[in-house]
Amino acid sequence: MSKEQTSVGKSLVELPANVTRSIFRNPLPASDRGRAATSFTNFFLHIQPVRVSRQALRPSYTMGLGLISFFLFGILTVTGVLLMFYYVPSTTQAYERMLDLRSSVAFGVILRNMHRWSAHGMVACVFLHMCRVFFTGSYKPPREFNWVIGVCLFGLTLLSSFTGYLLPWDQLAFWAITVGTSIAGYAPFVGKAIKFILLGDATVGQEALLRFYVLHVVVLPLVLTIFVAVHFWRIRKDGGLAKPESEVAPKRIPVHVEIQDEPAPALSTASVAVATPVRRFTIQGLVRGPLVKVGKLEEDTVFSWPNLLVAELFVLLLTIAGVLLVSFFFNAPLEQPVNVMHPPNPAKAPWYFLGLQEQVSYSAFWGGIGVPGIEVLLLLLLPYIDRGKEGVGRWFARQRILANSIFLLFVLVNIYLIVIGTFFRGANWQFVSPF
Amino acid sequence: MGATATEARSTEPQVGRRRFLGWLSGVGIAGSAILGSVATFFFIRPRTTYGQPNRFKIGRPEEFPPGSRIALDPKRVCIVREGNKVAAISTTCTHLGCIVAPSATGFQCPCHGSRFDVDGNVTGGPAPKALAWYAVTLTPSGELEVDKDNEIQTGSYLSV
Repeated sequence: MSKEQTSVGKSLVELPANVTRSIFRNPLPASDRGRAATSFTNFFLHIQPVRVSRQALRPSYTMGLGLISFFLFGILTVTGVLLMFYYVPSTTQAYERMLDLRSSVAFGVILRNMHRWSAHGMVACVFLHMCRVFFTGSYKPPREFNWVIGVCLFGLTLLSSFTGYLLPWDQLAFWAITVGTSIAGYAPFVGKAIKFILLGDATVGQEALLRFYVLHVVVLPLVLTIFVAVHFWRIRKDGGLAKPESEVAPKRIPVHVEIQDEPAPALSTASVAVATPVRRFTIQGLVRGPLVKVGKLEEDTVFSWPNLLVAELFVLLLTIAGVLLVSFFFNAPLEQPVNVMHPPNPAKAPWYFLGLQEQVSYSAFWGGIGVPGIEVLLLLLLPYIDRGKEGVGRWFARQRILANSIFLLFVLVNIYLIVIGTFFRGANWQFVSPF
Repeated sequence: MGATATEARSTEPQVGRRRFLGWLSGVGIAGSAILGSVATFFFIRPRTTYGQPNRFKIGRPEEFPPGSRIALDPKRVCIVREGNKVAAISTTCTHLGCIVAPSATGFQCPCHGSRFDVDGNVTGGPAPKALAWYAVTLTPSGELEVDKDNEIQTGSYLSV
């Protein structure tokens, strides 16, 4: 009896410690082994490697652009879900709800501002991230397909932003979507059908608003999340961020080999080119790129805990601070309620589509479908066209001067078109000077 | 039959049945995915639209005096009357679907600067083709009716 009581009492005394230990499998690490175990056993940290190369942590190498994009997506998810509590996707109510955000919803304005500016920021950061990956040659094998996924993510980001643009149901929204969906209608063969399915009607109206709402709050974020997960997973499986050749080349994968009597199963010959029938490779044999093991540390790497974690948290802090600062000083635009009869003159798409709109003003098919289609196709095929193996993991490597020049030209032309469309086009799309 | 003999010696039983189940599952799931995609396509393509009807009455001919060009923006048509002839010209820009406004020389689009003459023919800007003309009929009740599903040749008027 007394024995039992002591054990119950002991449990009670130890309860807090036991609960803590059951949640956090490792105490705050004090040794290298602990630092490794912390990254390894925590669900939220195990997405990171145990050790990370110093180069990947250098702000001047990545500028944290991919991470900023991801954090902006997080901010967009949180603010977006909150805004959904007050928004109604109806042509008669949507605009009123926008006004209500200003007048009768606590923190309504700042939430909408954060959502809008994060969306713009995400489009910009994803594009800049793509530029970073290009100029550092980081799409080279084995990262080709991750570049393709990245291009898809850029497209999904644009689509998410575009579908969200209609929801306030103001003049800007209505006419931007009218112009945007008409561009889709110029696609050969399927254009008219796509436009009709997208709008759910012949013109932009209630059906289109509902459809864009569903795409914006459910379909696109879901697809985006899946793509982001695969994108991150592949970074890990490809051995982290791209590194210069000198660091990658000499290291061989440490492999446990055991001699087998029986013929190897078919799997190993298919997966590992170097396998011979008498050898069986452990799972490490399937890992591509340098495999880091505790006890055999590479000099140019550091533990993720705390180095990478602190860097990531700091970028998160900067992102939140930046979004809050901009949202505090600048209000998201809201124009007059939709007037189906009077398009604003000029009717302009969101800034990231103004380059497209500028092209469209020359030729609807070539500007809206032909040229962008070729551009996207080239972006998707890029890692399979440019097979050179040199100049990986460094900014503007001399060996990649041709590829980098072409891409820089592509970037500059698009920025030029956007600037022209934004600042130099007035009524009837006439050339005007902003000065 | 050599393959079967090898399989028979394998330590894993029932390979034939497992292979059949694997094949069945693969085909079944792939088939479901394809059928599901097709069904989804038909589901999201609306059969009924809730917007404006494409055939509508616009009033009696007397409401459009000779020489007038009256744009009915909600209906996206411009009713043109010359003498006793009436026609309905689309005011949806053939470029990207903005509403064109009647101007001194015909029509002008505010979005990308397309210009059209009084008959809707392109005179400038990126518009790829002329504004559509829609069939106008006189109903038994004496009202004019426009049918936007029925595009007719440029310059075809209805005499009233």
